[in-house]
Amino acid sequence: MDEFGELSLREREAKRIARRQWFWLHLAVYVMIQVFLFVIWLLSSASYPWFIFPLFGWGVFVAAHAVYAFVVRDPEEIMIERAARQAGKRQ
Amino acid sequence: MSWLLTPYVERRTCRVLFYLLLGLPLGILDFTIVVTGFSLGLGLIVTLLGIPVLVVTLLVVRSLAALERGLAVSLLDAPMPRRGPARDRDSGVFWARLRGLVFARRTWEEAGYLILRLPLGTLDFSIAVTIIALAVSGMVMPIVVAAGVPVSIGSWEIDTFVESLVYLPVSVIFLLVGPRLVLAWSGLSRRLATALLGRLEPYESKLAVVDVLARTGEADGFLILDELELRFGRGPFLTPTHVEATLLALESLGQISARRENGRTLYALAR
Repeated sequence: MDEFGELSLREREAKRIARRQWFWLHLAVYVMIQVFLFVIWLLSSASYPWFIFPLFGWGVFVAAHAVYAFVVRDPEEIMIERAARQAGKRQ
Repeated sequence: MSWLLTPYVERRTCRVLFYLLLGLPLGILDFTIVVTGFSLGLGLIVTLLGIPVLVVTLLVVRSLAALERGLAVSLLDAPMPRRGPARDRDSGVFWARLRGLVFARRTWEEAGYLILRLPLGTLDFSIAVTIIALAVSGMVMPIVVAAGVPVSIGSWEIDTFVESLVYLPVSVIFLLVGPRLVLAWSGLSRRLATALLGRLEPYESKLAVVDVLARTGEADGFLILDELELRFGRGPFLTPTHVEATLLALESLGQISARRENGRTLYALAR
């Protein structure tokens, strides 16, 4: 891999780390707010469990964000890695 | 403290606030036009009248996206690729242009952005109005109470000057942090606008790389990246990964060739 390839690799690494950090931040905010809502529900008569609506509603987006942070990869990234693998096989 | 107050002397704050306030009307306009156009076009497709409706809708999507792009650049300073007059894939016979319009990923990303503009624009507008209201309410309340207008918070009737100062601390806090919050929120809008409206199509990058190599004869990745930045501008749409992927794609198509020299890879147009 030449210098430009290394720059490109570092850029992809930085992007991957940033994506994961944003996800952990999102998860932390989600957990804090859900705990806060649960406590409010518990302190205010604890009758109808309304706190499950934001728990699941927002939870869907947290799950989607997790998929984006840990599973989804850019097509460009896949293409570069595939080419690198093929070049490695040829050598 | 100066960090909190500098947004008051920056022109950018007013521009950003204007953009956030435009979110609701523009969001409604964009969403209504796009959803109506696609619904009508798809509904009428069995009569074949739907096809021209869908084509017109896609053209309108392009125009609305151009308007949104202009607003994002001028009001949010969002980085967008500089594009010259439409050419190559966008020119030529009618069918080629139509194919370019329908199959370009950009068209569908722009349509997605215009649909997302309603919920996000509503959020932008609500955040801007809430911050303004919270910043102003504490200062306005004593005047309103002095004018004899009945004010209440729940069952609490506020009718004396001292009671009317209840919101003042909230107001002071939001006067201090409000502009910073507005700027921070606009950062998200800017990122979204760049991600969905500022993408370089692979064919645009490929043409640009071929142009660079035709001019320079032979170039490495760094020089090609510099040349593309001169042409399209800097931004998240033009990264080393994007350039590397473009070079690989051109190499696999046989349009360029690569050779290693002193640890560098040099690219040239294939002969």
